[in-house]
Amino acid sequence: MIKVENVTKEFPLSRKQRKELGDQYKMTKKICAVDNISFECKPGRIFGLLGPNGAGKTTTLRMIATMLKPSSGSIDVSGYDTVDRGQNVREQIGFMTGQTALYDRLTPTEMVKYIADLYGMKKEDFSKRKDYLFDVLDMNSFSDRRISRLSTGMKQKTSIARTMIHDPSVMVFDEPTSGLDVMTSRAIIDLIRDCRKEGKTVIFSSHRMGEVNQLCDDISIIYNGKLFFNDTLDKFKSEMSKPTFEEEFIYRVGE
Amino acid sequence: MKFLIIAKKELIDITRDRRTLIMMIVLPFVLIPGLFGVVYTIQSQQAEKATEQHLKISFFGQEYAPDLYQAFAELDKVIILDQIPTDSVETYIQDEYLDAAIYVNRDYQKSIDQNKQAQIIIKFKGTDSFGITRDLIKSVLSIKENQIINKRMNELNLKPDIVKAYQVDYKDVASVQEKLGKIAGGFLPYFFIIFGFMGAMYPALDLGAGEKERGTLETILSSPATRLDVVLGKFLVVMLAAFITAFIALGGMYFGIQTFPDLEPWVLEIVNEMLTLKNIALIMSLILPISAFFSALLLGLSIYAKSFKEAQSIVGPLNIAIIFPALIGTLPGIELNAVTSLIPILNVSLASKDIIAGTINPWYMMEVYVSLIIFAGLAILWCVNWFNRESTIFRN
Repeated sequence: MIKVENVTKEFPLSRKQRKELGDQYKMTKKICAVDNISFECKPGRIFGLLGPNGAGKTTTLRMIATMLKPSSGSIDVSGYDTVDRGQNVREQIGFMTGQTALYDRLTPTEMVKYIADLYGMKKEDFSKRKDYLFDVLDMNSFSDRRISRLSTGMKQKTSIARTMIHDPSVMVFDEPTSGLDVMTSRAIIDLIRDCRKEGKTVIFSSHRMGEVNQLCDDISIIYNGKLFFNDTLDKFKSEMSKPTFEEEFIYRVGE
Repeated sequence: MKFLIIAKKELIDITRDRRTLIMMIVLPFVLIPGLFGVVYTIQSQQAEKATEQHLKISFFGQEYAPDLYQAFAELDKVIILDQIPTDSVETYIQDEYLDAAIYVNRDYQKSIDQNKQAQIIIKFKGTDSFGITRDLIKSVLSIKENQIINKRMNELNLKPDIVKAYQVDYKDVASVQEKLGKIAGGFLPYFFIIFGFMGAMYPALDLGAGEKERGTLETILSSPATRLDVVLGKFLVVMLAAFITAFIALGGMYFGIQTFPDLEPWVLEIVNEMLTLKNIALIMSLILPISAFFSALLLGLSIYAKSFKEAQSIVGPLNIAIIFPALIGTLPGIELNAVTSLIPILNVSLASKDIIAGTINPWYMMEVYVSLIIFAGLAILWCVNWFNRESTIFRN
């Protein structure tokens, strides 16, 4: 369960940044990346966080993962506050975004083992979980090859395995299928579906509206740091004024 | 103990990086003996060449001082060139066609006979690196001058001792080890301090700014490891790299000296006396805290940088800050005392010099340890604090 309540995140602006941003920011010393947003992600449901680039998605996800502290408001993950109980929160989540890369000089097995060790997993539990994930994601053929020599798809599979190795109750996926072929995307989508079946809380962020349509139960649309839709996907669909999901999204963001 | 898991992984990571290995192992082990070899060979070749070389001298006023002319002409290593035009002498010396010109005027013999000073002018090029020309002319003139003085004394019925009030006998009580230690000891720490810093530099840049650039920092920050774990894990590996590099540099030096073909056996014996296991252990005990200081400093700056390139430009000027105190330590006259033992880097340089010379004062040594541990501790605290700041980690 994730509860985001009235969360705002401001970043201080340097003189150089104020200059670059133009007259509008000349007098202000801060920029608001996320502006008073609230939403809830429930266990057993997939929550889609949608928005164009620079809307505030990554900042929100980083706050959920305790990397950034909210300027105001609070975030609760599985009963733990992200500011006061950061370590407990991190123990509960599996976090995968475009910025969470892999160590090129390790092999997928070593990478996954490293993360499992940090989560304090027992040897037998690790072994079982690793075998399961490597089978599901079809990773056995490249499990001992250096990550630097892997293809984009192989790397993304390793990232997913790294995120899920400790069997977290909360999963955060930011663009998990970005740049992947249809087969690999399908394997990952199936895995995320399995997470729902297992009763995990899942945040899924993607630009592929088809995937959002297929996967998500609830969605929030964020733009310029503000949340302007937060309900079920069915509700969104019922209010659509455009023929396709993608067109409706562009129309709403454009408004 | 998550920091140990991080350290283990970082160690695997950096030892799989060819650039780090070259910087950490190959360079100090090969470069130092290589450099010693090249410098020694060039210097001995030059010195040999210079001593074997025949000096070309032009003597003006041969007819006024035939005996002096003869004294130069009799020398095997001197060729007297007679056909040099007077107005071209300086150009010839500048162009190194001529090594020196000796001028004696017409009053030479008259001045000698009247017990006066005869004037002699010597023109030479002072940039002659070994001072061979000047030394040779000086020695010939000195012999000749003593002969004249003795003759004058005899004529006056005086003993030559009358103009020599003192008979000074300098007796040096410093052992050869001490003297060599003060000279060589000045340079040895300079090398391993620089190599220690270089050894820490690449891993620090890679594990800080490099991780940020590659996006792996967020992966580790989203794990249950605390920021303190992450910093400590990285710090340990950077420090280990600095320590190993400095150790290999020291080993490289030792190995280089041992395998040097033209080294006199007595020099080798003294080197072995200087670089005993105890001395090496003492020097390494200084390298450990100074490596910690370097590592925390470099890691903090590296974490601040947005990219590897930016980190390199931030850390670049720090090289000078490290080289400068290390270099001061090599200067003669700068000694380890209550004040210099508190200045990091300089204190390591000076203490190592005294350890090698066998003259280390245990109180100053303690002061060096305390100072280094305090500075290293402060640098680590600064690094951890830096790492905890959102504005540092997500600076871009």
